[in-house]
Amino acid sequence: MSNEIFENLKKAIIEYDSERAASLAKEVIEKKIDPMKALDAMTEGIRQVGDGFGRGELWLPDLAGAADAMSSAMPIIEEEIKRTGAKRVSLGTVIAGTVFGDIHSIGKTMVCTLLTAEGFEVHDLGINIKAEEFLEAAKKYNTDILAMSALMTMTAPEQKKVIEYLKKEGLRDKVKIMVGGGAITEEFAKDVGADGYDPTAPGAVKLARRLIGK
Amino acid sequence: MARGFRRKFKPLEIVTEEEVNAIHQGALEVLWKTGVLVEHERALNLFKENGCKVDFEKRRVRIPPALVEECLRKAPSSFCVKARDPKDDLIIGGDTVYFTNFPGMQTLDLNTWEPRTPTRKEYYDLVTILDALPNLHFFTCYPYFGFEDVPEVMKIPEGIVAKMRNSTMVNLCCYSNDCEIFTIKMVKVIEGMEAFGAGHSAPPLSFSSEMMESLFRYIEADFPIWAGGGPVMGGTTPVTIAGSIVVTNAEMIAYVVLTQLIKPGARVMVHDYALPINMRTGAPNFGAIEAFVHQAIFNQIWRRYGVPPVATSAGPVSSKKMDFQCGYEKAFSALIAALTGANVIQFSGGIYGELTAHPIQAILDDDIAGMVGRFIEGAEVNDETLAIDLIEKVGPIPGHYLNKAHTRKWWKKEYFMPKVADKLTLSEWLKTGKKDCLDYARERTQEILATHKPKLLTENQENAIENILKEEREYYRKKGLISDTEWATYKKDLESPNYPYA
Repeated sequence: MSNEIFENLKKAIIEYDSERAASLAKEVIEKKIDPMKALDAMTEGIRQVGDGFGRGELWLPDLAGAADAMSSAMPIIEEEIKRTGAKRVSLGTVIAGTVFGDIHSIGKTMVCTLLTAEGFEVHDLGINIKAEEFLEAAKKYNTDILAMSALMTMTAPEQKKVIEYLKKEGLRDKVKIMVGGGAITEEFAKDVGADGYDPTAPGAVKLARRLIGK
Repeated sequence: MARGFRRKFKPLEIVTEEEVNAIHQGALEVLWKTGVLVEHERALNLFKENGCKVDFEKRRVRIPPALVEECLRKAPSSFCVKARDPKDDLIIGGDTVYFTNFPGMQTLDLNTWEPRTPTRKEYYDLVTILDALPNLHFFTCYPYFGFEDVPEVMKIPEGIVAKMRNSTMVNLCCYSNDCEIFTIKMVKVIEGMEAFGAGHSAPPLSFSSEMMESLFRYIEADFPIWAGGGPVMGGTTPVTIAGSIVVTNAEMIAYVVLTQLIKPGARVMVHDYALPINMRTGAPNFGAIEAFVHQAIFNQIWRRYGVPPVATSAGPVSSKKMDFQCGYEKAFSALIAALTGANVIQFSGGIYGELTAHPIQAILDDDIAGMVGRFIEGAEVNDETLAIDLIEKVGPIPGHYLNKAHTRKWWKKEYFMPKVADKLTLSEWLKTGKKDCLDYARERTQEILATHKPKLLTENQENAIENILKEEREYYRKKGLISDTEWATYKKDLESPNYPYA
């Protein structure tokens, strides 16, 4: 029975079916099925989609669809995990946000979903996030990775500011910084002083693992 | 008057009248049902006073169709813009086609094809080169987004001044951090001179407070407006071309409505800069043929509205180099834009996205602009050009036309000569170092810089503008928008004996 529901959950992710993913997640809870295993099933689904993207068989709308399905079910499952007191082994803590002056969120949200699926603890700060807010969050959560998203290159000063703040607070060496977004390039990443950049969401997940050596 | 090019025939139409109506109705429905998000109190009030449904809490404006039709009627279908030198005055609209430059954030290192920040001198040199190009008629916001040692907030002001110093052409002035307050003052230093004020929507269907504030400032200072957006099809608009045009049109209509509410009859032109999303990277797909289909339909509809359309998607390409791909992406875009009725084509100098630009690219693009312009001017057909009498006189072989006065008179009128294309015979080409258009463009860059002398500002104008720049620097220093580190390097630049490199 529970195997069937795990299989269906995975299928809902692979078929980009948000409604079904959410209703299956509720079913998991109602039937008192192990939420950790449900999460694993979903992660397996999104990994398959990510791999398909990596092989060039699937495209961004597929990835976005799977991420959407994942994020409609995940809060339900996560809450249950928290309630039952089970603890998911975290790869590390990530804080992420779109920098101040920019309100684009598609890429950032997708990266957050994939990072969560991979096993990171992700705190999505949202859009239009000021340097001060990044810093505050970096202190609040024992942060391993700070991820900044920006579609517009005009935001470069703001990104530099975040890094300057981290230095001032003596946190720069403790936190890895990754940047991404439409107009970001390798050179831009270097220029603002980030540790890593990747143009794709699945690539960002691999980058995050590499940055923290996992 | 900057002559530009005159389209001699009816623009190419790629959708039917019924389809145009369907798109228009779609945009009206979106404006009334979905509405637009406007982050600006004064704009919200103005919409409200003029019969729009305004939800102040959600900052959502719903515009009734009748107001749309009224405002589209009020916006002029053609208008003049006065330059520093009357030879560069513009008449936007009708069948005239102008080319402008397309900016890039940085310049390109031609040995590595990697981007790098230009120096102040390179910035001014690019302005000089653009000023010298025969098929470039006015400026957009920047040639580059800035140069070495200039603080972020001074990039726009320094750019405006560089263009005023090294060219007499009309300028487009951007907005950010109140810079338009100072820009307006600078433009007014030169009596009778005008410039465009820029404004953008934030797709989908949104308008930021900063942009709205600058719109009020520019229109109240009687600037003509260049309105635009930068949607990504499949990202910030529906993925379909028709759906994307509905959103783009709704945004641009909302924009035009606001311009006419602020000042009836305000001069405004609207650009299309929709690009398909790259389904692998999520980046905009520059130089994509679908962008030009979008542009073609946009041009067709806005000509019907009687508001001059601008082709902005024409300028950037996906190629990172000045190569075959760069050439075909540029040529297709400019030609399609001109054939389908754009009045302005934002084009020369830009390479990848908005990330790179280069004077050599601008010189190469100027030849494309010239070819496109030549095409749309068509052929003169009259007794003299038909040359029936001459044909009778020359007769069959051994008759020929090369030695005829008619040939000497007409070939220069009718034949476009690109400045940097390789047109040699094979043997000449082999003998002269096998040069290509890129080699010629490099040479021409040097030639222009050595010989082209832009008309300088008068001493009084120069002093007045420099004083406004000073005032602006102080304003940003006080506001904390120029940091001490930034100021230290900037100050060195300002104190250089070569300043301002004009």
